[in-house]
Amino acid sequence: MAVPRVVVSGLGFVTSIGNDQAAVTASLRELRSGIERYDFIPGVDLPIKVVGTIKGFDTTALQWAGWRWPEGYAFNREVLRGMPPHGLYALCASEQVIADGRLTAAELTAEDTGLFCASAGSPRLLRHFLNQIYESRGDRIAPMGIVSAIAGTLNFNLAAHYGIRGAVAGFVSACTSTTHALGYACDEIKLGRQRRVLIVGGEDLSMDSIFPFHGMRALSRNPDPARASRPFDRDRDGFVGTGGAAAVLLEDAESARARGAPIYAELLGWGQAADGFNVANSDPNGRGLGTAMRRALAAAGVKPAEIDYVNAHATSTPAGDLSEAKALHALFTSAGVHPAVSSTKALTGHGLSFSGVMETAFCALGITQGFIPGAANLEHPDAACDGLNLPRTTLPTAPRTVLKNSSGFGGSNVCLVLRRWEP
Amino acid sequence: MINVTVAQKRIQESFVGFPERVTEAYLAFAEHEDMNSLDIAVLGVLQFYLAKKPTESLDSLPGTTRLVEDLGCDSLTMMDTVFMVETLLEIKIIDTELARMATLDDLRGYIRHRVKSGATTAA
Repeated sequence: MAVPRVVVSGLGFVTSIGNDQAAVTASLRELRSGIERYDFIPGVDLPIKVVGTIKGFDTTALQWAGWRWPEGYAFNREVLRGMPPHGLYALCASEQVIADGRLTAAELTAEDTGLFCASAGSPRLLRHFLNQIYESRGDRIAPMGIVSAIAGTLNFNLAAHYGIRGAVAGFVSACTSTTHALGYACDEIKLGRQRRVLIVGGEDLSMDSIFPFHGMRALSRNPDPARASRPFDRDRDGFVGTGGAAAVLLEDAESARARGAPIYAELLGWGQAADGFNVANSDPNGRGLGTAMRRALAAAGVKPAEIDYVNAHATSTPAGDLSEAKALHALFTSAGVHPAVSSTKALTGHGLSFSGVMETAFCALGITQGFIPGAANLEHPDAACDGLNLPRTTLPTAPRTVLKNSSGFGGSNVCLVLRRWEP
Repeated sequence: MINVTVAQKRIQESFVGFPERVTEAYLAFAEHEDMNSLDIAVLGVLQFYLAKKPTESLDSLPGTTRLVEDLGCDSLTMMDTVFMVETLLEIKIIDTELARMATLDDLRGYIRHRVKSGATTAA
């Protein structure tokens, strides 16, 4: 029996640059940023002044009953009561991917439909619940505190809500989490264990989620929303955080075709490798990422010269971007090939665990809708990027083959190779 | 006795999304210790957490209405209700006694008893 081909057959977005496919596509084409000034504590002058904001939602209340979301979604207390704030974003992204992928209720609950998720949990809710426990000497323990606050909350809640009966799992490799989820979902389908897998990632947008990164000086202190996130720029000084959610449906190509689902791209293969270097910093020479990229290309049966576009991990940190630039040089520049490279985090901010699924969905949009997002906010490319093809504006050409990079704490590196669907 | 200023703060923090009638009843109880207002507030909390809410307010239903069989109150709904009621009324609800409550009258009577006996908690 032939190994199934795996395709992207549905997308969903709640991101700083748009809450649906049309808005996200327009933002990517026009390089419209979702980053704004933001007062985490109103009236207090904090060192971090900008984030990728989520528009149309209000999740400032600690209780779900106080949350608000855009028109067109209907959620009751049963689904929301165990959710964190980013669970609401993830629900909306999931509703989109189910509708976009034309999944029926029977298909969604079939034993060969799985769900892989990732988020860091909700540090804000966790702090609130733990404070209640300590202040009440163990007497006040919110019944749904655990399932709404810890990592795994998305897979707990979404699997129960949608009645998922296939493979359900959560991934916790920090900023490679949903890229890992996509990779392992691809394997599940190729091995014939699942016909399709929903991959959903999300993160809160709160001081509790974002400020801990300031402890390691990873966040940009630049107060200018138009300049704070500038991957590969000489003057970059850290990443800009964001919350939100994104969802991708991966599916056996034959199943997607038979159902009449939209096919955005084929996921040809993936690869991973770790740096073996440092808990938080990337290998300065990008060794692990280089290995992951080569493994992804090998798994996909693709040569470096066939890559038209690299959606870089580059978060706008001085060390991380340098490491990725070196890895890209080693794989591409040294072979005399120059794919377009950009990091869409310049527009969105860094979505941490959901960045991989969000940016993979961006790549799928570029492939089907015929564009390569430009390297926004890039004014003075770092000298280490000399020889890399960093287009300043969006290119109106459809990439045939795309490489998506992700790197995370512990030196994890995961890369995916996507290609235009060619039956 | 609940401090009215504290009660007003709790309304802002904990009663987000609750019907005005329920928050007003809670405030009236804090101000006057009126037991009818207490009933409306407590049953209003339960009604808020029920998955399938009756069209009438719970305080207008017969006291013999059964929590599980008639209202579909599952254990998590009851725990959500208990957590909120404990917070609002500064009382402690005993798990073993909670398990014996079968009807709206049981719940109403038990909460009245705990409030009157001053079974307060540390928080």
